[in-house]
Amino acid sequence: MNGLRLVLLVALQALFLEEVAPFGEWSRPQWALWALLMLPPQLGPFAKLLAGFGMGLGLDIALGSYGHHMVAGTILGGALPTIHSLFSPRDGYEVTNKPTVRDLGTQWVIGVTLSAALLYHVALTLVDTWHAHLLGAAIWPAITSAVWTTFCCLLMHLLVLPPGRKNSSL
Amino acid sequence: MRNLWLLLQRNAFFLAFAGLLALSLMVLVQNDGSARSSWFRATGGVAALLEGQQQQWANYLRLAEQNSDLAAQNAELREQLLSMRTSSEWQTDPDLGWKVKKGWLVKAPDGQPRSMALGTPGANGDIRIESGVLAFGCAFGSVVDLGQEHVRILPLLNTAGTWSCRLGQNGAVAPLTWDGRDPNRFSLNDVPRYAQFQAGDTVFTSGYDLKFPEGISVGIVIEEGPASGSEFKTVYVAPLLDLTSVRHIEFIRNISDSERTVLAQPLPAP
Repeated sequence: MNGLRLVLLVALQALFLEEVAPFGEWSRPQWALWALLMLPPQLGPFAKLLAGFGMGLGLDIALGSYGHHMVAGTILGGALPTIHSLFSPRDGYEVTNKPTVRDLGTQWVIGVTLSAALLYHVALTLVDTWHAHLLGAAIWPAITSAVWTTFCCLLMHLLVLPPGRKNSSL
Repeated sequence: MRNLWLLLQRNAFFLAFAGLLALSLMVLVQNDGSARSSWFRATGGVAALLEGQQQQWANYLRLAEQNSDLAAQNAELREQLLSMRTSSEWQTDPDLGWKVKKGWLVKAPDGQPRSMALGTPGANGDIRIESGVLAFGCAFGSVVDLGQEHVRILPLLNTAGTWSCRLGQNGAVAPLTWDGRDPNRFSLNDVPRYAQFQAGDTVFTSGYDLKFPEGISVGIVIEEGPASGSEFKTVYVAPLLDLTSVRHIEFIRNISDSERTVLAQPLPAP
């Protein structure tokens, strides 16, 4: 299910949503992140790392960006276990916990999504820009895009998994 | 081996992360011209820095090797010099009227104010008191005491000696002394105020003390010192050689030494 969602979101972003950016470079969301963030927090670190790498690889193949998303996806996949442990509840995650508003709360979802989106967008900006003298100008659009990605992920949560709906199938 | 395996197992996640990141960066650098140029520039800078450091080390090691070779060569030459047999005969120069005999120092002056030097041969080598002693063609001292095999030499580097010298080839004549302090600073005293000279001028023996012929190098002028009275001044002189490290010497004597010594004696009082 997680793999299918990942493939679907990568395809959706590459084919339809890549150019959807209401404020240009200041709001260029990465929709595929939602699929990565929907991985259960109890999942092993290797699986998260491979999922991040796979997502980046898929996006690069689909978008022809040759390694940009692979680098950012690998960094995010490697950092995701740490992000999950930073936002873990006091007693840790329960086996049945899903990364949704209903199971872990709005604060958790926003915190994890914003952290992951910031990391992904900054890494992507770094490999897109490469030159230190251009980074200063490029970093602000990356931050606003991360906020925009967070907003889009929350929107996906509300559309696909509204807080009142039972989500046992996920 | 087991420990290595355990270490790898313990850091497996980090290794996998690093491997995947390296793979991603490789794909990126291979396909993105901007990234590639930036990567090459960064690595080129590092490579140039490393090469510069390596070159510096290579130069340093090469220099050390050359120094070592030169030291070995120097030691060999010194050994040859020390083992070189000196001529036991007086060599006569009839034009100058002086004869020379090679010898060597057993003890060099050590820089102390009253330090003497010991040389050989002695009376058995036909050395006489008051003979001048040269080292590397420069004035070194004079024989003051005689043994069968050895002689005691009063070197320039002794406060007891006074040496008649001339400023330049044709300049003023004045006595040279050492005050016992700085081995590289002699004083030419009572130089007439009219004497013309400048720093770097050579100071020669005058020949008036009968120990040396005139024109033997002694030192070079450093600077003018304080005036001694209204008619004279002092000139500071640096010796031309390090008098404390001399090994080989030459005894020098006038052919008509006996006659000169007799004639130079003061007239008896009437």
